[in-house]
Amino acid sequence: MKATRASVSPIAWLIAPSALLFALFFFLPMGLMALISVLSGNPVVQSNVTFTGKYYARILSDSYYFEVIWTTIRIGLFTTLAALLVGYPLAHWMARIRGRTAYALLMMSVLTPMLTGIVVRTFAWMALLSDKGAINQTLTGLGLIAKPLSLMYNEFSIVLGLTHIYIPYMVLTLVGVIGRIDERLEHAAQNLGASPLRAFFEVTLPLSLPGILAGSLLVFALAISAYVTPILMGGFQIMTLPMLIYQQISSSFNVGFAAALGMVLLAISLALIIAYNRILGMISGQRDLQ
Amino acid sequence: MTSAPFSLRFGRFCYLAFNVGVVVFLLAPIAIVFVFALNPTPYIQFPPVGVSMRWFEKFFASRDFMNALWFSLEVAVLTTVAATLFGASAALALARGRLPGSRAITAIMLSPLMLPAILTGLALFQTYVLLDVGRPTWGLVLGHTIVSIPYVVRTTLAVLHNFDTRLEEAAQNLGAGALRTYFEVTLPLTKPGVMAGAVFAFIVSFDQFPISLFLVSPGHETLPITLFNYLKFDLDGTIGAASVVSIVLAVLVVVGLDRTVGLRSYAEL
Repeated sequence: MKATRASVSPIAWLIAPSALLFALFFFLPMGLMALISVLSGNPVVQSNVTFTGKYYARILSDSYYFEVIWTTIRIGLFTTLAALLVGYPLAHWMARIRGRTAYALLMMSVLTPMLTGIVVRTFAWMALLSDKGAINQTLTGLGLIAKPLSLMYNEFSIVLGLTHIYIPYMVLTLVGVIGRIDERLEHAAQNLGASPLRAFFEVTLPLSLPGILAGSLLVFALAISAYVTPILMGGFQIMTLPMLIYQQISSSFNVGFAAALGMVLLAISLALIIAYNRILGMISGQRDLQ
Repeated sequence: MTSAPFSLRFGRFCYLAFNVGVVVFLLAPIAIVFVFALNPTPYIQFPPVGVSMRWFEKFFASRDFMNALWFSLEVAVLTTVAATLFGASAALALARGRLPGSRAITAIMLSPLMLPAILTGLALFQTYVLLDVGRPTWGLVLGHTIVSIPYVVRTTLAVLHNFDTRLEEAAQNLGAGALRTYFEVTLPLTKPGVMAGAVFAFIVSFDQFPISLFLVSPGHETLPITLFNYLKFDLDGTIGAASVVSIVLAVLVVVGLDRTVGLRSYAEL
């Protein structure tokens, strides 16, 4: 015991402020949320508060809530898939591009949308897709359509907006991983007779799997907790879990039910993180990357 | 096999065309925002009919928007200072403190990135309700700080892991104490990482939505919340002007980053 204590440097104490902050303003609130989700009322203002499972029973008994949860997950899955399919080639290009200026320009075109803010980017998509938006006005102006196409207020527009918003996270995660893969491995495969496409699918793609997983997890976590884009692009027609949670607080002031819904969202996120770590462990175990 | 060179060139062409398409997809909506901000008509019109500054005048003359802009800047500055102090010192402890279980602690420090921010907002809101503290500015700043710390920890850790520890050892061999080594060797060398983290903290706070949604008090809102409330009912050029102002701020930050510390270092965020 003494040996380990001696080897801990005094610098270790610098963790203390952050540890305290996280304990008080992150873990304690999360714990309180878990507690509130099983209490019948607010223990500070009410006296006869008891434990109850009624909020969870309400979620389980009504198929509406299942529908909301499934919509949230479905939007998350489609967004993740779209961001991966669109973001991977771009990340590959960025990782392999030679010129520093070209790289900087690409990096800027990825970072600029990322730093633009969710509300602003959602506004941009509304300006493009709404009934009087740029696309409909152009098509009407050209005489191609008589009345505006309804491009907004459906799940597709939500996924489109979210994909645009979260692609940068996917690209930035992938660029680093693809950049670390030795290009000579691909060249070796090609010298041995593989086509560039085959070399990519059998060498580069499997080696970038950790990045694909990390990027996908990040985008999925962001997409299922999105609030602004589903509301504005969905025009209040499509309900997701974060919208339902906020509605419980703002219009019904049902804190207990909001907490229970929050716990469902937390459970989904935690399940994903655990699955991610498992899969990552399996991959690196097989290949002994570290 | 005579067709191989052609299929190779064709594949290369598709690859480039697809990627250029993705870049256009990323940037086009932002370009559209500029068009609407400069367009003089009170509703969205495309193609644009002219150039005017009226929406910018309306934005800068609006008390609601200006109050929100200043409040957002205030919160972002406070968050940046707090997140940088907490995050940079935590990163140093994790990289140099020889802490037992530092991998697990690192994972915990980064966890706000992986958990939905709306949960942090909801949980803090419920805690403040239970403690009956109302909706103070410090409560909002601490919420923003929690979700900004991971960025500072990541950028600082990246630099600390990459640098030559022999420099620190050399300083100590030459008689410098732990504190002096830190201030004269470690700190100057980790500055790019800490600065990058600070910039990220600022942006994260300035654009933060889900946490603010739960923690702002009515009439005292941050810019994203004010924009969102405006967007629910109006779709005129004022939003475009407000968007352009925040885009210009963002681009200035990115260009500044590239000039001062270079962009390669963010490839891992």
